[in-house]
Amino acid sequence: MDRRQFLQMLGLVSGAAALSSCGSEKGQKELVSLLVPAEDGIVPGTESWQPSTCCECPAHCGLLTRIRENRPVKLEGNPQHPVNRGGLCLRGQASLWRLYHPQRLQTPLKRQADGRLQAITWAQALTEITEALQLSRQQGRKNTWLAGRTSGTLSTLIEEFCDSLDIERLAEFEPFSHAALRQSYGLLLDQADLPRYRVEQADLLITVGADLLETFISPVDYTAQASTLAADQKRHWMHLEPHYSLTGANADDRLVLTPGSEGTLLLWLLQSLTSQSRYRSRWPQALQDLLPSTNLAATANATGLKPQQLQELVSRLMQAKKPLLIVGGIATGHRNGQPVALLGALLQWLIALPWAGLDFSAAENYSRVGSLRDLKDLNQQLAEDRIGVLFVSRCNPVRHSPTELGLKAALAKATLRVGLADLADDTTDQMDLILPLAHGLETWGDTEPRRGVIGLLQPLATPRQQALSEGDLLLKLLKQATGKSPAADWEAYLQQTWQKRFSRAQLGQLMKDGYLIEPQPQPSIRLNQARAAKALRNLQLQAPLAQPTAVIAPSIRSFDGRSRSLELLSEIPDPLTTISYGSWMAVSQQTADRLRLRDGNELQIKTADWQSSQPVRIQPGLATEILTLPMDSLPAPVTGIDPLTGEALRYVEGLQLKPTGKLHRLPILAGSPSQHGRGLIPKPVQRKKKGDQQHHGPRASFYPEPEYENYRWTMAIDLQRCVGCSACVASCYIENNVPVVGASDHLAGREMSWLRIEPFYDEHGQVDFLPMLCQHCSYAPCEAVCPVYAAYHNPEGLNVQVYNRCVGTRYCSNNCPYKVRRFNWWQHKRTAPLDQLRNPDVPVRSKGMMEKCTFCLQRIRIAKDRAKDDKRLVQDGEVTTACAQSCPTGAIVFGNLLDKESQIYRLTHSQRAYRVLAELGTEPSVHYLRPE
Amino acid sequence: MQNTSSTEQIEQDVLAAMSRPSRCYLACIFLAGLVFLGGMALWSRQIALGMGVAGISHPVGWGVYITDFVFWVGIAHSGTLISAVLYIFRARFRTSFNRAAEAMTIFALMVAGLFPLIHLGRVWLAYFLFPYPNQRQLWVNFRSPLVWDVFAVSTYMLVSLVFFFVGLVPDLAIVARRRPGFIGKIYRLASLGWVGNSQQWRHYTKLYFFLAAFATPLVASVHSIVSWDFAVSIVPGWHTTIFAPYFVAGAILSGTAMVITLVIPMRRLLRLETYIPISHIESIAKILLLTSLIVGFAYVVEQGLAFYSGNLYEMEQFRFRALGDYRLLFWIMVSCNAILPLTLFVGRLRRNLAYLFILSLLVNVGMWLERFVIVVTSLARDFDPYAWGNYTPSFTEIGITAGSFGLFFLLFLLFIKILPVLSITELKER
Amino acid sequence: MARQLFFDDQQTFLQQLEQLLSDGIPSGQLDVRTPYHLSEIDTLLGQPPSKLPLFALGGALAGFGGGFLLAALTSLDWPVITGGKPIVAVPAFLLIGYLMTILIGSLASFAGFLLLARLPQVDALLEEQDFDSRFIITIADEVAPCTTPN
Repeated sequence: MDRRQFLQMLGLVSGAAALSSCGSEKGQKELVSLLVPAEDGIVPGTESWQPSTCCECPAHCGLLTRIRENRPVKLEGNPQHPVNRGGLCLRGQASLWRLYHPQRLQTPLKRQADGRLQAITWAQALTEITEALQLSRQQGRKNTWLAGRTSGTLSTLIEEFCDSLDIERLAEFEPFSHAALRQSYGLLLDQADLPRYRVEQADLLITVGADLLETFISPVDYTAQASTLAADQKRHWMHLEPHYSLTGANADDRLVLTPGSEGTLLLWLLQSLTSQSRYRSRWPQALQDLLPSTNLAATANATGLKPQQLQELVSRLMQAKKPLLIVGGIATGHRNGQPVALLGALLQWLIALPWAGLDFSAAENYSRVGSLRDLKDLNQQLAEDRIGVLFVSRCNPVRHSPTELGLKAALAKATLRVGLADLADDTTDQMDLILPLAHGLETWGDTEPRRGVIGLLQPLATPRQQALSEGDLLLKLLKQATGKSPAADWEAYLQQTWQKRFSRAQLGQLMKDGYLIEPQPQPSIRLNQARAAKALRNLQLQAPLAQPTAVIAPSIRSFDGRSRSLELLSEIPDPLTTISYGSWMAVSQQTADRLRLRDGNELQIKTADWQSSQPVRIQPGLATEILTLPMDSLPAPVTGIDPLTGEALRYVEGLQLKPTGKLHRLPILAGSPSQHGRGLIPKPVQRKKKGDQQHHGPRASFYPEPEYENYRWTMAIDLQRCVGCSACVASCYIENNVPVVGASDHLAGREMSWLRIEPFYDEHGQVDFLPMLCQHCSYAPCEAVCPVYAAYHNPEGLNVQVYNRCVGTRYCSNNCPYKVRRFNWWQHKRTAPLDQLRNPDVPVRSKGMMEKCTFCLQRIRIAKDRAKDDKRLVQDGEVTTACAQSCPTGAIVFGNLLDKESQIYRLTHSQRAYRVLAELGTEPSVHYLRPE
Repeated sequence: MQNTSSTEQIEQDVLAAMSRPSRCYLACIFLAGLVFLGGMALWSRQIALGMGVAGISHPVGWGVYITDFVFWVGIAHSGTLISAVLYIFRARFRTSFNRAAEAMTIFALMVAGLFPLIHLGRVWLAYFLFPYPNQRQLWVNFRSPLVWDVFAVSTYMLVSLVFFFVGLVPDLAIVARRRPGFIGKIYRLASLGWVGNSQQWRHYTKLYFFLAAFATPLVASVHSIVSWDFAVSIVPGWHTTIFAPYFVAGAILSGTAMVITLVIPMRRLLRLETYIPISHIESIAKILLLTSLIVGFAYVVEQGLAFYSGNLYEMEQFRFRALGDYRLLFWIMVSCNAILPLTLFVGRLRRNLAYLFILSLLVNVGMWLERFVIVVTSLARDFDPYAWGNYTPSFTEIGITAGSFGLFFLLFLLFIKILPVLSITELKER
Repeated sequence: MARQLFFDDQQTFLQQLEQLLSDGIPSGQLDVRTPYHLSEIDTLLGQPPSKLPLFALGGALAGFGGGFLLAALTSLDWPVITGGKPIVAVPAFLLIGYLMTILIGSLASFAGFLLLARLPQVDALLEEQDFDSRFIITIADEVAPCTTPN
C-alpha cells in the first residue's frame, strides 16, 4: 500500500463515518442521494426551468418553475405567455405555499358519526362513492357534480364522466361569476363569454367598479395594460367607484359616486353621447326613443358627482379616439346591477366596438360558469330531497352563498357529499367524504382560460401522500363504477385528447413553451336590436343605495378568499391599509371623527337583519358615508342574490353605526399614512428644469470616489408604473427564504419583508406607492457602524451583509435612513413540509442576525458564472432580481450602470429620476422615476 | 499632624464598618443577589429563545439595554471625577468619598459592561468585537463607534481598576495588621507586602499622580465616545455635535447623584459622620447643581437647534419628544434633571441630607429617563414615516434592568464589608 | 544589630531624622517607614527624583503608536470598504490611539511602580513585617549589609 492509496482509503473511511453520523436515516438518504448522480438526470446544485400554468385563480397565467434538487422552489411569470407576459401576481407567487402547505389534505377522509374525520384508503372511498351513486339512482335521486371554473381536457373528462354515470353536471360555481356582464353580452351581442378588453390600445379608459388590478377576470394582464395606459401622459384613465380600491388608487382620476348610482351615470353618458354627431349615426333611432330621459342635474344629484366632473367625462369620451369603458366588479353587485351591465354593454358597443376595444376572439372562457341563481336551484333541489350524491370540487359555495339561502343546512339532505379539495374550507367542513386533490404543479393537465390559449400543466413535484389529480380520480371512479375507463390514467387520457386535437408540431410547442395559441376566428359582433329594445323598455333604475353603505370589497391578497389560507399572503399587508393579519373595516376620516374612533376601535354596523362588528381602520380619501369591508373580514361575504342576474350582492345599505367601545390591536405596518412633506415621492409633480439635477450640489468629499471595474448593480423603479400590487414582495419572500413570522410579531413591528410597498396619502386622499428596499447606498450609513465588518460594500456596488459575521448589535438598522434592515428576533422555523420551500442558493438566517435585500446576489452569481464560462461580461437583461421579474407592470428594472447601452443607464439618466432622501448624501443605487 | 490616639481612632472607626455583618445586612445581600439571579435567568432565557423576548423591534432596535448601558457608564464617571480630577485639583473634600466613589465606578462599569453583551443578538460571538489574530484574517472595523466603545470601556475599566487597587494598597496593609489569622494573611498578600518605607512612598505618590493624570481625560473622553455611538449616526435626534459635552455633563450629574444616594446611608449606617462632614456633602451637591445647569442648558440648546435649523426631520423629532407619545417621560426627565436641582441654590437645602437623598434619587430616575428618551424617541421617528413605530419595554428588559441594580448593590454591599470604605492613609494625612 | 526608633508624632520624628542625618549617619544606613507619604523625607534623604515618569511616557507613546498602527495595519491587512470611508480613516484611528495611550500609559506606570518600589516585597511577606501606624527609623549597623541600598 503506497501513500496515495492509504490516503484514499483514509478519505473513504472518514467520509463514510462522517456521513453515517449525519443526522437521521432520512437525512442520510437525502445526503447520499445528493452525492450520487441520480438516474433521472437531476444534478445537485443545478437549476432547471420548466413551464407550467398557475392555478391559483381562474386567470391561469403562464409560469416558469424553477426546479432545484427535484423540487419547485420558485415560480415566475412566463415572459412569452399571452396572458401574463412575464408578470406574476402575489397570489401566483404564493401558489407554491399551497404546494407545501402543512395543512394540505393528504388522504381521503371520511366523516364519522361524531363529526370527526378519519383517514381511509382510496379503495374504501371509491367503493363508498360507487355504492352511494347506485343507491341514489335506485332511490330516484339525482347525482350531481358541482365544480369551480374548469377548462381544457379536464372539462371534457368531467363531461364524459357525468354522461357515463348519469350524473348531472351543474353550472360551474365562481364567486366572481361576472354573471351580469355575461347576461348582457349574451342578450345584446349574442356572446356567452367575456371579451378581452383591449386596454393597451385605448386612449381613454373609464372603469366603472371593475377592479382591474385586484380580481377582475385576469388581473395580471389588466394590471400590465392599465399601468401602461396610466403611465402615458397622452392617455387617460378614470375610475368610478363608491369605495376606495387599489384600482381606483391607480387611476388618473378616481371619481367617487353614490353606491348603486352607476346605472344613472351610464344612462346619462349614453344619452349625452348619442346626442352627439359622432355616435348619432351608429345609434339606432328606435333605441334612442326608448332611453329614459335624464338630465345633468338629476344625474349629478343621484351620483353625487359634480356637474363639471360629469361634463368632463363626456368631453373626454368625445375627444378620445379609442375610448374604452369597462363595467363590472362591485358595480354589478347591487340591485341596479342589471341596468349597469346592460347600459355598460350598450355603451361598449357604441364606443369601443368600432375600434375593436372588446376582443371576443380571445374571449375569456366563462360559458360553463353559472351564477348564484344556479346555487339557489341546487339549494331548492337539496331541500326537496332530490339530490343523491353531491360532488363539490375546487369551489367553496358554502362560504360564497348568502346566509339566508341556508345552503349549509340544505347540504345535509344529500345522501352523500363528496368534497374534492386540497385544503379544508367551509364547504369541506360539510362533506362526508373529502378527497385530496393534487396541486397544479404535481399533475399533468391543460387549461384554456382564454379561448385559443392552451396552457400546460406538468408534474414538477411528487404529489403529497395520496393526493390525486382530479383527472385520475375521475378515471378511477369511472373504472370502479362501470368496470371500464377511457384511459389507463389521466396522463394517457390527456395524450389521447391532445393527439386528437393538436398536430405534432403544436404538441411539441406546448411541451416546450408551456402554452399554445390556436388563433380563433374574429366573431362578427352585432347588436341584437330587438332584445336591446326590450331590455331598454324593461329597464328599471332603482334609487341608489341608502347611506351609510358598506361595500364588501374583494381583496388583491386572497382573490375571492380562496388564497386566504396561504399564510404568506396574510404576511404581506393590504396595500391600501397596510394591515397584514386579521379582519377590519375601513372608515372615512369624517366618520371616525364623528364617532370618535381611532384605528383599532371596534365599530358595530347593522341593519334589521344583518350585522357585523369589526375594528376600524381610517382610510384617507374614503367617502364620508362609505365603509369598506374586505371580503375576508366576513364569514359570508355575500348579502344576497340579485334575482335578475344571479350576481352576488355585495352592499349593505342604510346602516346603523355604533362603536362598541372595544379596542383591537391591528397589525398596521405603516407608521404614518402621510409623508409629512418629506418629498419621498416628490409632489407636486413638475418637470425638472435644466440644472435642477444639482439641486443638492455635487458631492464634496476629501476622499477619492469609489471606482467600479465591470459592474455597478443598480435598480430603477418607475413610480408611475408601480401600482402597489405587492407581487414583488411575494416574489422576494419566496426567492430569498424570508421568514413568515405571523400576527404576533407583526403587532410587535417585527415583520421580516425585505421589500415593502409604502402607501403615502396626500391631503386629498390620493395615494402613491413607494416600493422600499435596501438602497445599496454608495456611502451606506449601515456599513461604517458595524463593528465586525458584517455589512460592507462590495466591489460591484452592492451593500453586502455577511450573516455569519453578524453579532447582532442592530446598529446598522438604527442607522439606516430607509429602515430596510430586518433582524431575526427568533429562530424562525417553518412547519414541515414548508421547510422544503427553500431556495438552496440563499442561506437561511438564524436568530440574532441582521438580514436585508441583497439585490438577489445569488442570481447575479449565477449570471456571472454563466458569463464567465463564455468568457464575457454579463449582458443587459441577463440578470434581474426576483422583484423585477415578477412585476406585472415592469416598473422595476435592474442592471449594470457601467453598461452605457443598458436600459438601467437610460432610466437613471431620465429627467424623472430621483433618489429617496438624496439630501442625506447616501448616494443610493436605487433610482426612482417620479410620477409626472 | 495626628497623634497616635487619633490615628488609632481613625483605623478603628473605619475598620469598624468591616465587623461582623448584621442580619439586616445579610438580608440586603440576599435580596440583591436574588434580584441579580432573576435578571441572569431572564438573560439566559433571552439567549435561548432570541431577542424577541425583549420589547425592541423595528425601527426601535435599541431600547432599555442601551439605556442601561449609558446610564451605568454615566454613573461610573463621577467616581473618576471625584478620585482623579479632584485629586489633581487638591480638593480636600475628596477624601470623604473617593474610595466609595472609585468602588462605585468599578461596579457600575462591571454592570455597564454587561449590557452591550445582553443587547447582542448573538452574544456567543461577542469575541468578534475584539481585535484578535485569527486564521480568517478578519479584524474589527475601527471606523465603527461600537469598536471605539469596546476600547473606551475596556480602557476605562482597566485604568479604574489599577487606580482603585493602587489607592487600596496601604489600606490593605493596615487591614492586614489589624486582622489576625488567615484572612489577615490574604489582605497582607493583597497589599503586596507594603511596608511604607521611603522608597515605596516616593514612587507611590508619583504613580498615584500619574494615574490620576491618565484617568482625568477619561472622564471627558469615555462618555464622549459613548455619546458618539449616537452622534456619529445619521438619526435625527442623535446626530448632533453637542452630544459629547452634553453626555459628559449628564454622566457627572447622574454619577454625583449616585454618590449621594450611596454615601448618605453609608455614612449613617457605618457611623462615619466625623469623616464625612456635611460640608463635604455640600461640595458634592454643588457639583450636582453645576452639572444640572449644564444639562438643562443642553436641553434648551437641543430644542433650539432643531427648530432653528429648519430641518424637517429634526423638527419632527423634537416636536415628538416634547409632545408625542413619550411626552410624559420627557417632562419627568426635564423636571428631575434641570428644574428640581435648581433648589440647590438654597444653601439650607444643600445641607439637608434627607432632601439631598431624595433629590439624588429623582436625578437618577431623570437621568435614566433622559437616556431612554434619547435612544427611543429618535429611533421611533426617523426619516421614513412608513417605518415609524413605538417601543414598550418587555418584562424581560425590566427584569434584566432590575437585575443590574441587584448586581450593583450586591457588589457595593460586599465592598463595604470587605474593603475599608474610606482611605485611612489619606485621612491620617489630613 | 539594627537600631529601631519609633515615633507617634510626625514632628518629633522629623526632628530626630534630621538629627541623625546631621550626626553623619549616611542616608544609606537609614530605613525610614511612615504611615503616609512625607515629602520632607525625600528632601532630607536627598533621594533622586523617581524614574516613574519615564515609564509613563514610554507606555503612553507605545500605546498611542500601537493603537493607531493596530487600527491602520489591520484595516490594510484586508481592505474592506464601509460607508465609502477611506481604508485608513485617520480621525477614527486616532481615537483608538488616544485610548491606548491612556491604557498602556497607566499599565506601564503601574508596572514601573512595581519594579521601582520592588513590590511585591517578598521578604516583608515572609518575615511578617507589618505596615505600622507609627513612624519608624531603622539604623543599620555599618557591618550589616544594607537592606535596601538605593
